Amino acid sequence: MILKVLVVDDEAPVREMFEELLKKEDFRISAVATGEEALETVKKEDFDVVLLDIKLPGMSGLEALKMLKNLKPNMIVIMITGFGYDDELIRKSKEYGCAGYIGKNMPITQILSNFKLYIKNAKETIK
Amino acid sequence: MANGQQNKDLLEKVFDDCNAIALYLDRFGNIFLCNKKTEELTGVTRETLIGKHWFGALCPDSSMEIKQQLFKAVVDDSFNYKRPNIFEGTLTDRTKNDLAISWNISPLLNANDEMEGVLLLGSDITLLQERETSMQNIDATLKNIISNIKEFALYAINLEGNITYYGMGAELMFGWKRDEIIFKHVSMIHAYDDVAYKLPFILEQVMQQGEYELETFLIKKDGTSFPVILNVSKFISSDTILGYIFMAKDITEQKRLEYQIFQSEKMAAVGQLAAGMSHEINNPLFVISGKINLLLANKRFGNKLKSDLKAIETQAQRIRSLVDRVLVFARKTPPQAVDLDINKVIKNVLPLLAYHKLPSHKIHIIKYFSDNLLLIRGDIHQLQEIFLNLFINACQAMEKGGTLTIKTNRLDDTFAEITISDTGNGIAPINLKNMFMPFFSTKKDGTGLGLSICYSIIKNHNGTIDVRSQLNQGTTFIIKLPFIKKGG
Repeated sequence: MILKVLVVDDEAPVREMFEELLKKEDFRISAVATGEEALETVKKEDFDVVLLDIKLPGMSGLEALKMLKNLKPNMIVIMITGFGYDDELIRKSKEYGCAGYIGKNMPITQILSNFKLYIKNAKETIK
Repeated sequence: MANGQQNKDLLEKVFDDCNAIALYLDRFGNIFLCNKKTEELTGVTRETLIGKHWFGALCPDSSMEIKQQLFKAVVDDSFNYKRPNIFEGTLTDRTKNDLAISWNISPLLNANDEMEGVLLLGSDITLLQERETSMQNIDATLKNIISNIKEFALYAINLEGNITYYGMGAELMFGWKRDEIIFKHVSMIHAYDDVAYKLPFILEQVMQQGEYELETFLIKKDGTSFPVILNVSKFISSDTILGYIFMAKDITEQKRLEYQIFQSEKMAAVGQLAAGMSHEINNPLFVISGKINLLLANKRFGNKLKSDLKAIETQAQRIRSLVDRVLVFARKTPPQAVDLDINKVIKNVLPLLAYHKLPSHKIHIIKYFSDNLLLIRGDIHQLQEIFLNLFINACQAMEKGGTLTIKTNRLDDTFAEITISDTGNGIAPINLKNMFMPFFSTKKDGTGLGLSICYSIIKNHNGTIDVRSQLNQGTTFIIKLPFIKKGG
């Protein structure tokens, strides 16, 4: 089954990069720039996974995470950050129900394998 | 004789008005006249006193013998040498208390310069003396307190610049004993430049303003200089300047705290900057690496192009590592001690290995975590850094794969023991003893800081770190950290 992924990142090149990388891995991709847009999109359409940047203009990534999980508790949300590893952000995003955490500073292959692993784990948990 | 009687009456009246003991002794020392005050104080009437020898009548047995003798000698001296005398003696009053009396003894001579008698005027100075004694006591107590002050150094110099006073606080502050420094020149504790250039200016200010306060440095016996707040004032006795009084307060600790606050504020600013920068740098880097990844998968490109692309990726990875290091460095905010479950700390570190380019797929991780709750008081970031460092080292030592074993257990009543073993290359015995030295590294591109940071962090947590290794067998790091005893 092809999974539908929504990428949320305010930087167009980053957004497009994720689209390109994930398309190659047989995901169906949509992309938006803000948390507000993500909420609107998710209301209209079902997604299996949201890949959500933690630093966003307007509504923060953490706020968006909280609202997305409220809206669709079974939707998998994975956070992305350019900040490197940060305990406090991880603790909070876990509390709000994110399935995993990807750093833009990881090697690309690691990003892809972690992304798939988080989805697999999350699906098992939901079952 | 009528004239003499008139004189006597007049004298008696004058005597009675006098608010002191007044006695007129004849040339034999017998009391010829005495006054009301004498009667009041001694409780003996003048009828009883007159005609008696003054010594027997007024200096009864209860008075101190030595003083009696002295007084007698002084009075006799006035008789014999016809000269006035002053003497402080005692007198027993009607209630048998000793009064302190200041005696004024004047010989009375007739026209032929012959001895007629002696006039004794005695003022009761008991109260005065008591007051003086208590003042002296206060003085002595104050002196004692001042010389025993330990919080600041008190010393004085004369106009030549020699130390004339040097209290206990000064001994403690400078390390010189009083005997070593008293009457020596003040340059023993003031830097030469200070004495030559600064001190004259300070003393001039003191002369103009009465006192002067400044921040400066003074010198200890061992030659080290330390910061002080120095208060200088004049030492004056009856309008003459005798010297200067110095009061120095050591502000080393205060300066250290100020510096620490400044440092931690600086570090916080660096941290914010680094976090912002890392985000800005990681975004374009992610795109660069992503594009390279896609290009490398393109089958139409030849090997030369692919190796160029890999070179670009390697350099991108270098920038990423650099940004990570800056972040780790910047997060070195002042350590915060909290109670930490050591098992949890280690469990949280393990996922971080994914952020490092390691042959992790070939490495098997075995965890033996103690069932006892091992709470350690420490800084979570610092402890995570130790474990991350050691795990990375272990993985790097097992390039061809291997087993990383992490064990935690309660060693004794005080220490928790954490062992981290790998089955890697091992460390040559010659390198083993230098392991924790800063800038010592056996790795090609190692900074040599990792293990030395581990060492200092563990030391700060009152723990120890040891290493055992055998070439081509593996390495074990043993960390001991004191744990918190609950309810104790």
